[in-house]
Amino acid sequence: MGVIVGPRVIDAGASLFSVLISPVAVAAGFPSPAQDYFDGRIDLNAHLIKDITSTFVVRVTGNSMEGAGISDGDELIVNRALEPKDGSVVIAVLDGELTVKRLRITAAGIVLQAENPRYQDIKVSALSDLTIWGVATRCLHHV
Amino acid sequence: MRTAVAKPALMRSMPQIAHVDVNCFYASAERAFDPSLEGRPLVVLSNNDGCAVTRSPEAKALGIATGEPWFKLAPRAKEWGLVAKSSNYELYGDISARFMELLGRYSAWLEVYSIDEAFLGVKGEADQLLPLGRTIRDAVRRNVGVPVCVGIAPTKTLAKLCNKWAKNNPAFGGVCLWEAVPGDVRDSLLERLPVDEIWGIAGRLTKRLNVLGIFTVGDLVRADPVMIRDKFSVVLMRTVLELRGTPCIPMEEERIGRDQLIFSRSFATPVTSADGLRQVLSIYGQQASARLSKHGLQAKVLTAFAATSPFRQQEQAYPSVCVSLPMPTADPLLLARAAHALLPHIRDGLKYAKAGIMLTDLRPSGNQPPLEPFENPHEERGIGPLLEDVSRRFGRGAIGLGHAGIKSGLDWTMKRDMRSPRYTTHWDELPVVKAA
Repeated sequence: MGVIVGPRVIDAGASLFSVLISPVAVAAGFPSPAQDYFDGRIDLNAHLIKDITSTFVVRVTGNSMEGAGISDGDELIVNRALEPKDGSVVIAVLDGELTVKRLRITAAGIVLQAENPRYQDIKVSALSDLTIWGVATRCLHHV
Repeated sequence: MRTAVAKPALMRSMPQIAHVDVNCFYASAERAFDPSLEGRPLVVLSNNDGCAVTRSPEAKALGIATGEPWFKLAPRAKEWGLVAKSSNYELYGDISARFMELLGRYSAWLEVYSIDEAFLGVKGEADQLLPLGRTIRDAVRRNVGVPVCVGIAPTKTLAKLCNKWAKNNPAFGGVCLWEAVPGDVRDSLLERLPVDEIWGIAGRLTKRLNVLGIFTVGDLVRADPVMIRDKFSVVLMRTVLELRGTPCIPMEEERIGRDQLIFSRSFATPVTSADGLRQVLSIYGQQASARLSKHGLQAKVLTAFAATSPFRQQEQAYPSVCVSLPMPTADPLLLARAAHALLPHIRDGLKYAKAGIMLTDLRPSGNQPPLEPFENPHEERGIGPLLEDVSRRFGRGAIGLGHAGIKSGLDWTMKRDMRSPRYTTHWDELPVVKAA
């Protein structure tokens, strides 16, 4: 015990490459490498969390996303590392609050869409005007 | 006058050290989950809501000093729009664990230095290291949600210095590479920096240095290392050599800081199984317990981490977990058991070269008698597994350990009136998102 392992250093160029593929690719849905070694029961963590550094769980309050199967009191699994795309269910910062909406990126502009006709959509002039906190990947719906 | 530093040409292929730390860590962790705090003056208070331990830049701008008692600030809080938060160590510990795990992806050599800072071994030309620093800064911001600065230099002392420059000077964009700062700029920065701004130089030392005419870091760089060793210590001589570009501060194994205790060690022989690491973590639990007892402290939050061997061609992993202890404790068994929460994240077959634990939310042990740590009476009698069995059959809280007991005692509950939810460690305190 106590022997110092000297620094092995990673070439910056190589690191950059692995950076480019690693978090993004993993997040995009490659099976976790841990599954190859896994021989036991189904592991919900491995199934639901692709990147444990960037994945958070939040609780929904309100009914504006019911059309997307997201109800009041449900939990959402949110990955902050994902790139928000057209159609993503996102957690956006609106007036200092975290708000869940469907992101629409179209030629006509950027819209934060509710999934309930009783709620209004919010138009945004540019993506840069918008702070996206994270992208929801799963809904833990209470049945 | 030019200071004596190694010439860039010689450093080209040398390993460099990146020092990464979170800006105003506690305040930033609060803001990551409560965007309404963005842009407002914010202080995080010490245990029992005593005094300000972390200040947001806006709070600093109001002239609030570190350590300023809350009772003095409170009457003016409304007028200033000042927000105060009680320390939320569960949140900070979890954010720290995520931060460290993410950093581990950028270098096989990671030294967790404190709850919010780490050293990384990196290599490359200036035109690769600067983008690497920016990539790290962006990834931590995006994944974990907190802002960091990065300093990259040939030595730890210089890397810390660069980080400070990056923090204080927006022109660096959060990343300062020693090699990329023009020599005359470096010199003038060093000449202006008081000597006590350097890592490892505290108050009393400053006065003795001043007597010798050493007031700025520039003065210290020019000082004769042998004289420094004779008049002060080898430790200070190392600082001088480090400032001149010669790496000589080794990996440290145990530190007690202002509010944390870290045990981290590399193994002579890699550990390849969860069972092996269970033993290692138990040993850390005992050592940490001994150290806490010695300082009359107890801990409430434990972070455990491990890292695969940097020397082997294999898949690498840097698992890290944060555990909120049921009560403040220095009990070796409780600490070891908490550290074992890392084990489910350990994959048999990978070669782990290093593991560690970090204790935060430290507080005086009060009137609970400390256990004699090395006798470790529980494990000898098999009480640990028994407790585990009983708890599994009859539920948590069905049985408790000695002075720790079943219920949380009143003597350790703390005043934390302004604590934010423990967003990432408790199901009933998750961040709320509005669907409205």
